Amino acid sequence: MLLVAPAFAMVAVFVLFPLGFAVYISLTNWPLIGPYHFVGGQNYSLLVHDPEFIHSVLFTLLYTAIVTGPIFVIGYAMAMLVRSNRFGSTFFRTAFFLPFIIGLATESFMALLELQPDSGAADYVLAKVGLAHANTAWTVDYGLALTAICVIVVWFASGLTMMLLMAGMQGIPIELYEAADADGATWWQKESRITLPLLRRNIALALVISVIGSFLAFNQFYILTEGGPGTSTQPVVMWIYEEAFVQYHLGYATSGAIALVVVIAIISAAQLYLLRDDRADRVSR
Amino acid sequence: MTSVTASRPSRATRDSRGTRGSRDARDPRAVRGRSRSRLSFALYLAGGTLASLLFLLPLAWAVARSFMPDSLVTQAPAARDFGHLTTANYTGLIQANDILRYALNSFLVACGTALLTAVIATMAGYGFARFRFPGSGVVFALILVTMMIPFQALLTPLFLEMHSLGLTNNLAGLALFYTTFNLPFGVFVMRNTFMQIPWELSEAAAVDGASPSRTLISVLRPLVVPGIATTVLYAFLFSWTEFVGALTFLTSNNLYTLPLALLNLEYGSVGQVNFGYLEAGAVIAMIPCVVLYLGLQRFYIRGLVAGVVKG
Repeated sequence: MLLVAPAFAMVAVFVLFPLGFAVYISLTNWPLIGPYHFVGGQNYSLLVHDPEFIHSVLFTLLYTAIVTGPIFVIGYAMAMLVRSNRFGSTFFRTAFFLPFIIGLATESFMALLELQPDSGAADYVLAKVGLAHANTAWTVDYGLALTAICVIVVWFASGLTMMLLMAGMQGIPIELYEAADADGATWWQKESRITLPLLRRNIALALVISVIGSFLAFNQFYILTEGGPGTSTQPVVMWIYEEAFVQYHLGYATSGAIALVVVIAIISAAQLYLLRDDRADRVSR
Repeated sequence: MTSVTASRPSRATRDSRGTRGSRDARDPRAVRGRSRSRLSFALYLAGGTLASLLFLLPLAWAVARSFMPDSLVTQAPAARDFGHLTTANYTGLIQANDILRYALNSFLVACGTALLTAVIATMAGYGFARFRFPGSGVVFALILVTMMIPFQALLTPLFLEMHSLGLTNNLAGLALFYTTFNLPFGVFVMRNTFMQIPWELSEAAAVDGASPSRTLISVLRPLVVPGIATTVLYAFLFSWTEFVGALTFLTSNNLYTLPLALLNLEYGSVGQVNFGYLEAGAVIAMIPCVVLYLGLQRFYIRGLVAGVVKG
C-alpha cells in the first residue's frame, strides 16, 4: 500500500482536489486578488448567453468536424500502406509519425513564417500552382487561418491515427486472410469483411483520441492567430485561458472549464462503454 | 453490390499472404498475379515515398530556413537562398536571446518529470501488480480515471492551489504538474510490465541462493527496463515542449521553457519578428524529439500498443 501512496497522493493533490475546487470556484465570482462571493449558478446562466463563449464552442465544433474526417481517412490509408513488414515500411512509418512526435507547438512556430505574405513557402508553392496570390496573409483572415491550421493539424495528427490503426491491423490473425484467399475473396471483400469489422475497437479509440484532441485545441491557435481576427478563431480552451488569466474572471472561466470537463467525460464514458461491450473477457480489467 | 463482387472470378490479391489453393504455376491467372503483385509493390513504394516527402519536406525545409540569414528568410523562397547558408541565427539566438538557458529550463523540467514519473509509476505499478489490499481496485480506477480529465480544464484551480503552495513560477512545480498528468499512463504501463513477469523466476533465483538485490538486478531488471523506458520516453516528450501549462504557471522570463521563449520571439520583440531566430529556435526544440524517437522507437510503440489493448 505504501508503494501506491505517492502516485495516489499526486493524483489526489493535483487532479482530484482541483476538480472539486473547480466546481466550488465556478459558483463564485473569484477574482485573481481580493475577496470573493458565492454567486450560485449565476456564472452558468451567464455562460449560456455569452456570445463569445458560444462562438468559441461552435468554432471548436466546426474545427473538430473539419479535421476529424481527413485525419481518420489519411491515417487509415497510411496504416494500410505500412501495416505489413516489407522493404521501406519502417522508414515510411517513422516519416508519417514524426510530425506528431515533434509536437504542434514547435511546428506552429515553424509554420508562422511559412504562412506570411510574400515570404512564406505556402504562398510560394500555391502561387506557382495558381491557387493563391503570392501575398496572401494566411493568419489574419478567419477563413484562411482556419484552412491553414486545419491542414497543419491533419499533417500533424494523422500519423497517430495510423499508428493506432496499424497496431490493430497487425493483431488480426493472418489465418483469416488465408482462408478468405482460399475461398477466392477479392481484396475489397477482405478489407470490408475482415479488416474493418475486426478493427472496430481501434477505430473507436482512434476517433475518440482525435476528437478529444480537437476539443482541447490551443497551441496552434494561440501561436498562429492568437484567436484573431478579433476572437473569431478562439477555441474553448483559449476562451478559458483568456477569461481566467487575461480578464481575471476566474470564477466565470472555471464554469466554462467545468462544461468542458463534463463533455469530455461523457465522450470518454461512451468510449469505455462501447469498447467494453464487444469484449467477452471482463476479467482482464 | 457485394453479391456482384462475390460472383466475379477470383482476383490476384495485393499482397502475397499465403498461397491461393486452386492455382498452379501454369495457370495464366497466376502469372498475371505475380506481375500484378510486382506492380502493387511498385505502387506501394511510390505512394509511400510520395507521402513521406509530404511529411518530411516541411520539416527539412524548416531546418534549411533556419540556416538562412533573416534578410533572405523574409523574402520569397528562391534557389539562391541555398548559396547563403549561415549559422548566424543560431549564434545570434545564443548570444542575444540566451536560448541555451531556455533549452536548459526545458531540459531540466523534462528530465525531472521523466525521473519522477518513472520512480512513482514503478513503485505504484509494482504495488498494484503484486499486492491486493482493501480498496486497491478503487485506487487504481481513480488513477486511471484521471487520464480522462484534461488538465487544460483545471488550469484555474491548479493555478490557485499551486500559487498558495509556492509552486507557480517554479520549474520544480511545473515538473510536479507534468508528472501528475503523466502518471496514469505510467502506472498503467508499469503495472502491465510487472504483471507479465513470471514470479517463479525470482523464487527460483532465491532458491539458487541469489540475494534479493541480486535477484532484482540480474533477473528482474531486463524484464522491467523496457516498461520504464516507455514511461520515461512519454514523460520526456510530453514535457519538453508542453505549452499551455508552462504559459499559465511560469511568469518570470528567466524560468521560461523553450516554447515560451519562442513565443517571446514572436510577440515580445518590438517591431519586426526575427523569423530567422524563430526558425532556429524551433529547430532546437525539434532535435531532442527526433533523436529520442529514432533511438527509442520500439519503446514508444510498446506504449502505444499497451494503450490500444486497454482502450
